[in-house]
Parts: sequence; C-alpha cells; structure tokens
Amino acid sequence: MERTKISKSPQVILKGLHKRYGLGDTVLKDIDLEVGKGEFIGLIGPSGCGKSTLLKMIAGLTPVTSGTLEIDGKTPEAARDQMSFIFQEATLLPWLTVHKNIQTTMRLHGVDKKECQRIADKMAALVGLDHVKGFYPRQLSGGMQMRVSIARALSVSPKILLLDEPFGALDEMTRDHLNEELLKIRSIEEWTAFFVTHSVSEAVFLSTEIIVLTANPGTIYKKIFVDFPYPRTAKIRESPEFQRLVSEVSHHLRSVDR
Amino acid sequence: MKKHLIWILPALTGAILIGLWYAIIIIGGQPHYVLPSPWQILEACVREREMLIPAALRTGFAAIVGFVAAVGGGSIIALVLASSRWVHRAFYPWVLVMQMTPLIVLVPIFVLWFGEGLPSITAITFGICFFPVVANTTMGLISTDKNLLDLFRMSNASFTQEIFLLRMPYALPYFLTGVKIAGTLAPIGAITGDFLAGTASTYAGLGYLVQNYRSQIMTAELFAVAFVGCIIGFIFVASVNFVHWYLLHNWHESSLKADH
Repeated sequence: MERTKISKSPQVILKGLHKRYGLGDTVLKDIDLEVGKGEFIGLIGPSGCGKSTLLKMIAGLTPVTSGTLEIDGKTPEAARDQMSFIFQEATLLPWLTVHKNIQTTMRLHGVDKKECQRIADKMAALVGLDHVKGFYPRQLSGGMQMRVSIARALSVSPKILLLDEPFGALDEMTRDHLNEELLKIRSIEEWTAFFVTHSVSEAVFLSTEIIVLTANPGTIYKKIFVDFPYPRTAKIRESPEFQRLVSEVSHHLRSVDR
Repeated sequence: MKKHLIWILPALTGAILIGLWYAIIIIGGQPHYVLPSPWQILEACVREREMLIPAALRTGFAAIVGFVAAVGGGSIIALVLASSRWVHRAFYPWVLVMQMTPLIVLVPIFVLWFGEGLPSITAITFGICFFPVVANTTMGLISTDKNLLDLFRMSNASFTQEIFLLRMPYALPYFLTGVKIAGTLAPIGAITGDFLAGTASTYAGLGYLVQNYRSQIMTAELFAVAFVGCIIGFIFVASVNFVHWYLLHNWHESSLKADH
C-alpha cells in the first residue's frame, strides 16, 4: 500500500493559536499548523509544553484563548461528533462489561441498540477482544483495557482521532505491539490522528509528521516529516533511516528541554 | 487461613471470655443484680420473651422506617448538593452544622412536633442515619473521573445522561458505604429514640423496656435487651452487606476476593 494521500485543502487549521488558563501563564503561543486528511501528527515535547492542552482544544474540551482553530471549517465544539478522544488511562466504565463499554459512545451518539451490538462485535474482533467481551475492566490487563478504549473510540467511525499518551503507562513490548496494531487499523479505517507521546521511537514509528514543542510557553520548535511508506511493520524499527530519525528528533527534544 | 479456623477461633475466644466472666463472678462474688451470669441472661431472655419479642419487632420496624427514609431522603439531598458547585458551596456547610448538632438535645422538640412514640422515634433514627448517606453520596457524585466526564462531553451527552449513566453508577460504591454506616446506626438510633420518646401506651420498644427494667434493677433483663438489640443490629448489618456485595461483586474492588 502507498503512503496515505494528503488532500489539498487542510482538514484542521490552527492559526496564531494562544492558550492561557484564566490569568495564569500562557500555555501555548503562536501555534500555526495545517493538517491534511489522513495525516498522523505526533506531538512531542517536554512536560509542561501544553501538548495535552492542544489536544483538548482541538477536541473542544477547553476554549481557545485567541487565534483560530477550524475543523472542516467548523468550530471544535461543532465538529465534536467527528472526533474521538483516547485518554492516557483507558477511562472505562468499571460497572460495564467490555462489550457494553465499547458501546457507550455509540449509545450517547444515539445509535440504535442492535446496530451498537453489531458494531461492538466488529470492533472487538478488530482489536482482538473477542474472547473477553463478557469481562469487566478490572479483569483485564492495562494493555487489554487500552484496546477496549481504542475499540470504543473507533466505534463511531471518527474522522479525527485524538490520542493523549495512550500507551504511556504500558510496558515497551505491549506498547510496540499496540503501535503496530494501530497502524494496521489505520490502513482499513481512514482517520487523521493527533498523537501526544513522550516516546521518540513511538512518534517516529507512527507519524507522518512530528511536531516538537518547547515548554513555558509551548511553541512549535520544529516540524519533522517522516517519509516511511505505510504499511509500517515492526521491521522498520531496525532500519538505519529509522534510527537516524529517532536520533534527530531526540536531538531536537534535548535542545528544547533545558 | 484454613477454612474451619474461621469458625473455630472465634468460638474459642468466646469460650474463654465466658469462662473469664464466670471466674469474675466466682472469685469476686458479685451479686446477680450487679453482674448476672451468661446463663441467667439466657434465662431472662426466655422468661421475658413475651415482652422482648414485640418490643424487638417495634424497634426493628422503627429502625427500618427511619433507615429507608434516610437512605431515600439522603440520596435526593446528595443529588441536589452535587447538581452544581454553587449549591454545594452554599448548603454543604449547613449540612455539616446540622450533623454537629447533638441530636439527643432535639428529642424533646421532636416529641413536641411529632408526638410521642413511632413518629419521634423514626425522626431520631432518620436524623442519625441521614448524614452518612448524604456525605458519602455527595462525595461520590462530585468525584467522578474527569476523563470520563470529558468522554461524555465529547459525545455531547445530555445532563440527564451524565447523571444517570455516569455520575450515579460512579457514586454507587460511595453511596453504599454511606448506607452501610447508616445500617449500623439505625438500630442504635431506634433504641435511643425509644428510650427517650417511647411510652407504654404509644410505642414500647426495646428502649422503653430498658427504662422499665432499670427502675426495677432487673440487671439480667437489661443484658437480655442488649443481647436482642445486638441480634437486630446483626440482621441489619448482614442485610446491608449483602446488598453491597450483590450490587458490586462483579466490578468493584471492594467486593473482590483477595486472590481473584
């Protein structure tokens, strides 16, 4: 398969974006970014650089202080139904089974019961949860819980996926594995992704473009394009080009993290 | 721990305590009206059964009415308190002030308002059971996971969806903790209420029997009342614990077996 085509007109536009909580310090400053459909944006930077805040602004969960933020020409609040958010923790409802958890967002979107169950079955199969559909979240490992969270997010066929360090709490093996699966799913379902992470190799492996942010206030320090073709497999991690990009991004990250 | 030890150990300690009890009576030579023997207490239970059983039923009934009213009313108040941060700020301190008020002092006022007997006794039970339910449920309703709230917001969930599908189930373990505390307090509340506001003609529960036996220095019978009160308390706590287990055992940490 070829690398995802990037359409001419950008899907998400951020122009002169500022964010400040109340009268406190400026969290984000002068953020300019145009993201085309199907791109995978890796957001990386030292803690306090406002990358999670940026994600929440795109989601419409926290207001923009100044500047413009458009999603398909709409405000984030108006475009919410096209977006799914995947949190740092799995953020499941502990009193519902896996199967019901996958359905929560769909139910809130008003999808009818039969359809919900059908899609939930499909999603469970897609992320490898078939055998634990009747389990409660507490019976699952962290990695499995995250799969439920991914299935729930994808169930509403979002156009944009916002991921806030979703694999940060997992061990490296599980993380690598889920990274590969995420890309596999991406080759079937077309969505644009904003992916916040602390892991350079994760960012390089997943992204079409990596944005390195500075801290206090958060500004864009560097944009790095990652030109590996999709589908990307585990093997790519061993290639010299991959290693070179990892050290380049690490270098930039070190220079902002002082 | 081995399974049978769960029964054997308490039985053993019980036997030792009863032995000690007899030892004190034999060595100390206390008369029965100061310290009756366990056997004399058992005899009193049987002898006074026609007084004890109806009294226990009355106390049990008052406890249930007050408890149910407190759980129902407490949940509603908690929902109101949790509905907005402003309501919470405006009223919660007053809830605490009410909780600090010594209820016993209010008993004569309750009697004045509601009359002697069941209404006052229930009011006292209600007063004792109410606050743990309010405090715990409110806590549960306002401590909903921020990410879960964001998740619901992302899906444009309505206010009622947020309450019924998220906040209420999330608060359930907290609510049940409040209910458990209320369950242990309810029989105590009913007996206290009965002691202070029960009369032979209106409502002669266990508290009234205490008054009665005390005036005649019937010590063994007083112990018998304590024993019966203990049984009521046990039934209450066991029922409430069962409900707690039934509702949470599938998913909540507090109801998990250690070796799951």
